[in-house]
Amino acid sequence: MDARIEKIHVAAEFVNKAISPLLLKGRKPEIGIVLGSGLGRLADQIEDPLVIPYGKIPGFPVSTAIGHKGNFIIGNLGGKCVIAMQGRIHYYEGYGMDLVVLPIRVMMTVGIKKLFVSNAAGGVNFAFHVGDLMIIKDHINLMPNPLIGPNMDHLGPRFPDMTRAYDRSLINLARKVAADQGITLQEGVYVGGTGPSYETPAEYKYFRLIGGDAVGMSTVPEVIAARHAGVPVFGISVITNEAHDDYAEDYVNDGDDVVVAADAAAVKMTALIREMIERL
Amino acid sequence: MNDQLSLIRAAADCLSLQLKGRKPVAGIVLGSGLGKLADQIEDPLVIPYGQIPGFPVSTAIGHKGNYICGNLGDKCVIAMQGRIHYYEGYGMDLVVLPIRVMISLGIQCLFVSNAAGGTNLAYHVGDLMIIKDHINLLPNPLIGPNLDVLGPRFPDMTRAYDPALIRKAEKIARKERIAVQKGVYVAVSGPCYETPAEYKFFRLIGGDAVGMSTVPEVIVARHAGVPVFGMSVITDVAHATEDDDYVTDGNVIVAAANAAADRMTVIFRRLVEGL
Repeated sequence: MDARIEKIHVAAEFVNKAISPLLLKGRKPEIGIVLGSGLGRLADQIEDPLVIPYGKIPGFPVSTAIGHKGNFIIGNLGGKCVIAMQGRIHYYEGYGMDLVVLPIRVMMTVGIKKLFVSNAAGGVNFAFHVGDLMIIKDHINLMPNPLIGPNMDHLGPRFPDMTRAYDRSLINLARKVAADQGITLQEGVYVGGTGPSYETPAEYKYFRLIGGDAVGMSTVPEVIAARHAGVPVFGISVITNEAHDDYAEDYVNDGDDVVVAADAAAVKMTALIREMIERL
Repeated sequence: MNDQLSLIRAAADCLSLQLKGRKPVAGIVLGSGLGKLADQIEDPLVIPYGQIPGFPVSTAIGHKGNYICGNLGDKCVIAMQGRIHYYEGYGMDLVVLPIRVMISLGIQCLFVSNAAGGTNLAYHVGDLMIIKDHINLLPNPLIGPNLDVLGPRFPDMTRAYDPALIRKAEKIARKERIAVQKGVYVAVSGPCYETPAEYKFFRLIGGDAVGMSTVPEVIVARHAGVPVFGMSVITDVAHATEDDDYVTDGNVIVAAANAAADRMTVIFRRLVEGL
């Protein structure tokens, strides 16, 4: 068997075994959630949580990025059984794309029917402000494609369609929930870059010129792996720094600020995602 | 210890021994055809890359592979005569190794130079361009576990090219009556030269010049908080590639770079003297 398939199966089997008490009660995770930088608060709202550290799962690396832990958390949110990734695996950490998307493929093997992804992103669009939430309506991938390599035919097609990478009905649901809760949402195109150095002003301008609204170092590989398998995706970014045309002498782009800004917006995002899941 | 760190330390220790107590304050990367600056280094100690553990041998045309340590004006400098390019097939770790070695030796400033194609339609062959910013289309050299002793996980790149050094260079250029452009350098892998369509792409995204080096070096220097000054010699220009009989030729590029070397040498020399 393909070593990559073997790896997905071994890890999924481990997770299935760990959640077998839930499965016996007829509860099976139906929604996967990726909690991005500083958005771990949603994890605290998961009821009756069962925590599986990545370190215990065969084949998993340990996530190292600041603001990230490395756990699967399985439990109830908005009346549905969910599996959340507290901490993702980033390409900039030096892992191959197979490992970056492994947790997503494990969640899909466990049986999720929808994927929610979140991240902290730099604002490219001048109209965005720190703490804004942006529905990801599309992406531009400037990272290596995670599907490079022999196609795993039982997961999905060789050439998956990316016309609607972000599910239209989930975007509509988000708009409705946001209107009801009085949350203002931006909508835009997420540019996936590798990092880990932050972007230069010239790179910000480049991303704006090609149609990007926000830029970050994650999410797109996960979305591609999910869409390969036909799983509908909803994505949302917290804008953690603002685009400038001219940078002040003392301006610095700094990881700690990113985490602080993401935390502040987390309350709004948590309420939004929770309610979306409840209404599904 | 991390393999990468041991590689850097072993190379730095070896180089340090060969420098016999000299303490360079500035590192200089001599790009394609810009080797003339090396001839101006007084009392030079030449250390071939081949003598340093872990170093590959640079193969690009117009390049030698040596560190040269000596005095430029009254400042002790270490120059890289020849750099390691990604297109030669080396991993990014190796491409940036010589920079990290110089940083380990304690340089306080990094000067980088290169030969670049002009994507800005106002540029001419032989123009000098101060690099004010870059667009990186190469793999990022910091991908992998962060080397915390060198710098932060997510380094800021807001001012990759030191504004104070840029101002000084502009002042020197005015005083010496050397015309300089100021623009954005786009870094690509090469090794094939760019197509006319690619030139247009780089222009559309805000690039003024394009080349196959420099940016990985700048990123690791900024990771370590070392201020950088960068300059390109424009060796071919975008509009020419549209002509039916145009061919981009490596030898022509080296000749163009050599012709501009005197002007660039003056600027670098004055900048170092003024440190």
